[in-house]
Amino acid sequence: MLRRMASKVALLLVSAMILAACGGAAPSSENAGGTTDAPAASQGSAPASGGDSGGGQSQDPIKVGAVFILSGPSSGYGISQRAGVELAVADINAAGGINGRELQVIFEDSQGSGDEAITAVRKLIDRDEVVAIIGPTLSTEMFSAGPVANDSGVPILGVSTTVPGITDIGEYVFRNSLPEAKVIPHTVARSVEKFGIKRAAVLYAHDDDVSRSGADIFKAELAKNGVEIVEEATFSVKDTEFGPQVTKVMAANPDAFFISTLYNSAALLMVQARQAGYTGHFIGGNGFNSPALIEVGKDAVEGAVVGSPWFAARSDAKVEKFVADHTAKMGKGPDQFAAQAYDGMMLIAEAIRAAGSTDRDAVRDALAAIRDYEGVTGRFSFDENRDPVMTPFILQIKDGKYVELD
Amino acid sequence: MLLQQILNGITQGGTYALVALGYTLIFGVLEIINMAHGELFMIGAMVGWALVTLFGWSLVPALLGGMVGAALLGVVLEFTALRPLRRQGGTNLSPLISTIGLGMVVQNLMVRATNGQPLSFRVPLSEGVIRLGPLQMTTAQLVVLSVSIFLMVALQWTLSRTRLGRAVRAVSENPETAALLGVNVSAVILATVMLAAALGGAAGVLVGLSFVSVSATMGLPYGLKGLAVIILGGLGNVKGAVAGGLIIGVLEALTVAYGGAGYKDAVAFGFLFLMLLLRPQGLFGISAAAVRRS
Amino acid sequence: MAVLLNNYYLQVATFVGVNALLGLSVYLVLSTGQLTLGNAGFMALGAYTAALLATKAGAPVWITLPAAALVPAIVAIPLGYASLRLRGVYLAIATLGFTETVRVLFQNWEFAGGALGIKNIPSLGRMVQNGLKAAGITPPAGLSHAQLANLVVMLFVLLVLGLALAFVYRQAAGRVGRAYAAIRIDEIAAEAMGINITYYKVLAFVQGAVLAGLAGGLVAHINFSVSPAEFAFSRAVEMLTLVVVGGSTTPLGPVLGAALLIGLSEGLRDFSLFGARLSDYRLILYGFLLMVVVALRPQGLLTFAPRRKGARA
Repeated sequence: MLRRMASKVALLLVSAMILAACGGAAPSSENAGGTTDAPAASQGSAPASGGDSGGGQSQDPIKVGAVFILSGPSSGYGISQRAGVELAVADINAAGGINGRELQVIFEDSQGSGDEAITAVRKLIDRDEVVAIIGPTLSTEMFSAGPVANDSGVPILGVSTTVPGITDIGEYVFRNSLPEAKVIPHTVARSVEKFGIKRAAVLYAHDDDVSRSGADIFKAELAKNGVEIVEEATFSVKDTEFGPQVTKVMAANPDAFFISTLYNSAALLMVQARQAGYTGHFIGGNGFNSPALIEVGKDAVEGAVVGSPWFAARSDAKVEKFVADHTAKMGKGPDQFAAQAYDGMMLIAEAIRAAGSTDRDAVRDALAAIRDYEGVTGRFSFDENRDPVMTPFILQIKDGKYVELD
Repeated sequence: MLLQQILNGITQGGTYALVALGYTLIFGVLEIINMAHGELFMIGAMVGWALVTLFGWSLVPALLGGMVGAALLGVVLEFTALRPLRRQGGTNLSPLISTIGLGMVVQNLMVRATNGQPLSFRVPLSEGVIRLGPLQMTTAQLVVLSVSIFLMVALQWTLSRTRLGRAVRAVSENPETAALLGVNVSAVILATVMLAAALGGAAGVLVGLSFVSVSATMGLPYGLKGLAVIILGGLGNVKGAVAGGLIIGVLEALTVAYGGAGYKDAVAFGFLFLMLLLRPQGLFGISAAAVRRS
Repeated sequence: MAVLLNNYYLQVATFVGVNALLGLSVYLVLSTGQLTLGNAGFMALGAYTAALLATKAGAPVWITLPAAALVPAIVAIPLGYASLRLRGVYLAIATLGFTETVRVLFQNWEFAGGALGIKNIPSLGRMVQNGLKAAGITPPAGLSHAQLANLVVMLFVLLVLGLALAFVYRQAAGRVGRAYAAIRIDEIAAEAMGINITYYKVLAFVQGAVLAGLAGGLVAHINFSVSPAEFAFSRAVEMLTLVVVGGSTTPLGPVLGAALLIGLSEGLRDFSLFGARLSDYRLILYGFLLMVVVALRPQGLLTFAPRRKGARA
């Protein structure tokens, strides 16, 4: 009995290890173990500093990794991002690839968890030997996986990570997602001026990183613009019922609601506020940036204002092609996540092109040097901290569509 | 202002009560907690959404459709996660785990089907506000409250006046004796599961209706809260489930209004702890000794 | 050699070790017949204790890790006593409530970073790597410094796991282990025989909390950051799955469970079937696995105990 059990155990353990080991190319001997030290050459192993990764010969495809949330509750974002990257890859390869080589992206699922993000990044770096990594989706995932990529000398570009402190992780950590701290000041200034707002209420999701820091910035900017904050209310980002909050806030009679949360709770909040008779203005943070806001909120969100790096109705050839391709692929227009992911892939491709090689350090330097790149989200540069330099669009919902605020 | 919050709380509490009733029914008959109940709720909402949005049905038929859809999932639940375990004669912890598994499967299948996005659920009824003096209710809230009350009354009537109801109560009391008295225990269990699922599904449609959206993960918070509610009210106790639901709903509303929404979720569980410490049988349960023996 | 000791494999092995520790913590409590979903909460307490001490007070690892094990133990004592009167599903729900409450508390605690959690936690890997370089040690066999460091960290985690397993085995063979078994099989009879069930049930609870807290502390020092979302209901279910699938009647069960489930998860990464990426369906597979194992082999895959009809898993 014991022997039978023991052999079963052995069999199971072995199969577990085999499962973990198979399903992908084994690491090439060229890079065995030499790719995980930061710039300094590693002793006794194949190529020094960074190494020529993502394929050695010029005929081999260039490999880039992407880590997004592709399963579980928040997979909506990751799936959007994956679509954006896939469209970019298609466009790049249709135009002849990068310096004549095909671009290949390997997608990994981080499931919203720091553990998984780290494992995914390690696999991409150490087994797939990618040149650079796009993602992960969440700022909290980046705080876990970013240091890993950084310490391994692999450039990592966040395309949806907007909280403060991301690029402080290290020299190899970049982001093209405009932080709330750079969008909200514009949003507040424009809307206060346009609507003559004197009394404001701030409502936000207390359990979402982006929403919370967005709310802090709203409050600071409102104070700077001389607006009195007459009431504040919080809720969970997953809430769908806001009766108590709406009642409480309306009692203080604000001119405008400043709302910092993700689009579903934002839309429902506005629906219920209108149902309760609120007639003032709605101004939103990053969470408003989704066509789904209008789909869910319908009439209630008419007139809402938001600052956004992404304006889908912009008359620009690149934007129109991207919107058309995305609609053909996914059955609906691209949201901000898809757009920033698309541009993120383009930026990395640009950097590899400019570096003329797949040496990770060269690519990192080329990435950091990007100035005035014209993407679907507009003109983009990295600043000296590898943060984005971009002017956001201030948009308003009119007739069920986003237009620029006049 | 205070009254308005209480009214909000009562409406929300009505849906908690419906969810809790589903748990309570199954516990009464099987002595297990169905951890997939949140998913029954969600599937009801999804079916309702599909009927309204894709087929243009109106509210009442869609509600019934949602209940039927959830009941069908209940059948699946009974045959895949519950019945096979009963034959094995294990503890009541195995079905707990098995239903967790089924819940995961259903929830994630729906997440994949919807690509993780919430779906907008609009029934023409959703607009409109009714004012009663200083208070107001949206039409949706009114519908939710009245349907909840109707279903609760219907359930109570079913349990006390119909043959099925008597059979359910008999099996809850003692399955062996019920079998000896000629009750088809298996059939009763299946019927109870379907009934519980239907109630959960109805709650799902109502929640989807009042909050204008449904999503694959909407079951989780209601599932967890429902657990707190039944402990508060007393496992297996119908009146308790209703009372517990209303109390938690009102307490949550007050917490949000006065204390800070951050702690709203902790309210239900805070009360749960208190109850388990002081009076584990809940407000209406029979006795603490019964709890210890279970 | 260097190929096998790829940083990715080392990372996976390290996580298997940590998860085995978590599974073991649930197993311990389960061996007295108590089903707890609260160890995710204890894990959170351990992780945050280590993270806060390390980032706010600059405490070194040999203080933060023991603290990570100690703080949950202290909390577990009153919780254990309070749960004494609860059985089966009541206990499961109460402990689930505990996990949820801990999560909500951390989410609202600004000092601990609120929903964002704590970042920039000193990592064991970096510490070892710097130590190696400072000591002028040259990695053998063509390994890089980073690989050697990751190897050391993995071995450390496996060492902790090994010590925990050794402890559990020794305890199982002794007075405590026999008391646990007696309580699991028939609590009332055990009490009648003079076993102080209060003491032993609380002890099991505390031991589980210590292991879970320790695992949490390790995670904090491996992952660079912790946030409340990592310690929610889904984490509690994951830990339970490890034990249920791996084997709930022997301490090696959770170890096998961790190896199997993580191995499965990693193995699925690159597979596609009919154009669908299998890893997207991972959670669905887990759910099925739970249902199938509980129905067909309720004591889990690995078992050395003879199966008795009606015996509780």
